[in-house]
Amino acid sequence: MSRSPFPAFESTIVLKHITYRRRQTALSTAAVALAVGISIVIISIQNGFQQFIFDILFNNLPHVTVSPEEGEQYIHLYRNVVDAVWLLPGVIAVSPTLSSQATFAYKDKVENVAMMGVDPEEADKISKLSQDMVHGEFNSVLGGKRVVMGQALADRLEVKKGYTLQVSFPDAKTMNLVVAGIFDTGFPPVDEGITYVSLDTAREFLGEGDVINSINIKLEDPFLAEEVASSLTGNGYEVKGWQQLFPEIVRTLALEKAQNMITMLLIMVIATFGIANVMNMLVLEKTREIGMLMAEGANRGQIRRIFLLESGLLGLLGGILGCIIGLAVSLKLMGVELQSPTGEMMPLPVLINPWDFVTFTLLAMALSIAAGGYPAYRASKLDPVEALKG
Amino acid sequence: MKHRIDEAGVWNNNHIIEIVNLFKVYRGGVDVKALDNINLVIEEGEFLAIVGPSGSGKSTLLNMIGLLDTPTSGKILLKGIDITQISADERARLRNRELGFVFQYHHLLPEFTALENVMMPMLIAGVKKEEARATALQFLEDVGLGDRINSRPNQLSGGQNQRVAVARALANHPSVVIGDELTGNLDTKTSDLIYDLLRKLNKKINQTFILVTHDTELAEKTDRILRIVDGKLVCEMRREGDRFVSTEVCQTAEAE
Repeated sequence: MSRSPFPAFESTIVLKHITYRRRQTALSTAAVALAVGISIVIISIQNGFQQFIFDILFNNLPHVTVSPEEGEQYIHLYRNVVDAVWLLPGVIAVSPTLSSQATFAYKDKVENVAMMGVDPEEADKISKLSQDMVHGEFNSVLGGKRVVMGQALADRLEVKKGYTLQVSFPDAKTMNLVVAGIFDTGFPPVDEGITYVSLDTAREFLGEGDVINSINIKLEDPFLAEEVASSLTGNGYEVKGWQQLFPEIVRTLALEKAQNMITMLLIMVIATFGIANVMNMLVLEKTREIGMLMAEGANRGQIRRIFLLESGLLGLLGGILGCIIGLAVSLKLMGVELQSPTGEMMPLPVLINPWDFVTFTLLAMALSIAAGGYPAYRASKLDPVEALKG
Repeated sequence: MKHRIDEAGVWNNNHIIEIVNLFKVYRGGVDVKALDNINLVIEEGEFLAIVGPSGSGKSTLLNMIGLLDTPTSGKILLKGIDITQISADERARLRNRELGFVFQYHHLLPEFTALENVMMPMLIAGVKKEEARATALQFLEDVGLGDRINSRPNQLSGGQNQRVAVARALANHPSVVIGDELTGNLDTKTSDLIYDLLRKLNKKINQTFILVTHDTELAEKTDRILRIVDGKLVCEMRREGDRFVSTEVCQTAEAE
């Protein structure tokens, strides 16, 4: 006689227990459902936060950066490198950059900032600066001695579009630049500290020829950054992927994920303890009936399977219910606006990943079966004569 | 089917149960001999009663025959199979196929209907649900509960529940039906009804019945009465027509 994985006898008993003992079923599934629901909300916020950070990293910053050889200030034969980069798969933008420190002065206002000499077309693919322009155009830096700066810096220098200011630095050529555009990224370090000029302007300022000091690369898939970086390291330049450029962020995210995982696992373990409890009660309450089932010929395996199956089913029910709760709360949280420390409102980043639902439901089920293990074992080891006495 | 062991030549007579030098000793500060050298042969189709005072060991003996308990020493042959030597799973299988139990308390599963309770031993055996349902229905009709198949134990009287328990014990067509004080909680009328039912089956399909009872009236309706005192089989009486005749065992024991 072949046995199906859901034998009629065991499943008949289990389904009856679950539907007949509604209060216990409700209590144990509610605990698991809450745990799964909470976990899904936590992971969705975690996902959202990670996505938020990655968006900043990936959308407005280079994924891979090539720097000069050690001891060198510039990359001289950069065109070969740029061509080599373009040959790699999945490259979206390659932006050679010549950056330096510069002192900007207008009347009595003086600010020390970074001055980036770029090809605006390529640079824009990386920084998306043209989307943040409030006055003028980003590519207007190409029209001679022009500079594009952030709103915050312009405010400090008390300049507007069209004003001419003086730029100088030790060992550099002092020159006048016209403010050709103003951007507002909402990201203070950029708005206050970075200015853009053309590559030619930067070279003239530094008194250099056809050189640059970094190549910024953007990729279709940011997670291939390390691969691309390692394939470029051969020719002596220093090449770093975003993971190496921002190791703190990567570590922080990993740490936070680990923390959340541990918290969630603990919540789940506590919740499934409820199932262990319910199962223990069930075994106690049903001792006589277990004895009778043994007298009727149920073997130890069948008795054990009843309680394991019931635990698993309660875990599954709780998991499914928890997914619904988690989904509902996550969707609700998606619309919530938060006040950032600087006072502006921002939406709470929430990202729902369908795979999390599968993972947590299966986890709830597995933990529930584990929780039911001991009661199931105890039930199967009952002595039928003693059990029948109750 | 019931005689499959004949072909193997192991069990070729109609001794359905043979008990040889059976002891059950509960170890403790003082060893208690619950069963003290029991020797007994029960033939297929017998209808017998085991009587004796409380704590005499009669239920222990019944539990041994029913494969619910294991002896300290000795042999029990059920259809020629030494059931003291087989695995727990094999014992469960034999309980399922060869034995039917009715206890003083019905032990019906409270969440299940009469029909589902009777189906249970068949589901344990892996019988298809539809088939089990049909068989269960037949047995419930036989015990006069054809109209209460969907009632749960709390919706039935004590006597009705006990009749459901009887139907359940018969579900897998066992060779031996064991009753432990099965009428203990019932009034005379229901008691008689259940006796008549068992007797009918006994006559019709030659099923073996072993009843432990306090009820002398019930015991005297059987064909053979075994009296157990202090774990010893002290007296055996066999029906001859309308009266019982004591065997030698009985006289020897009484002479001691």
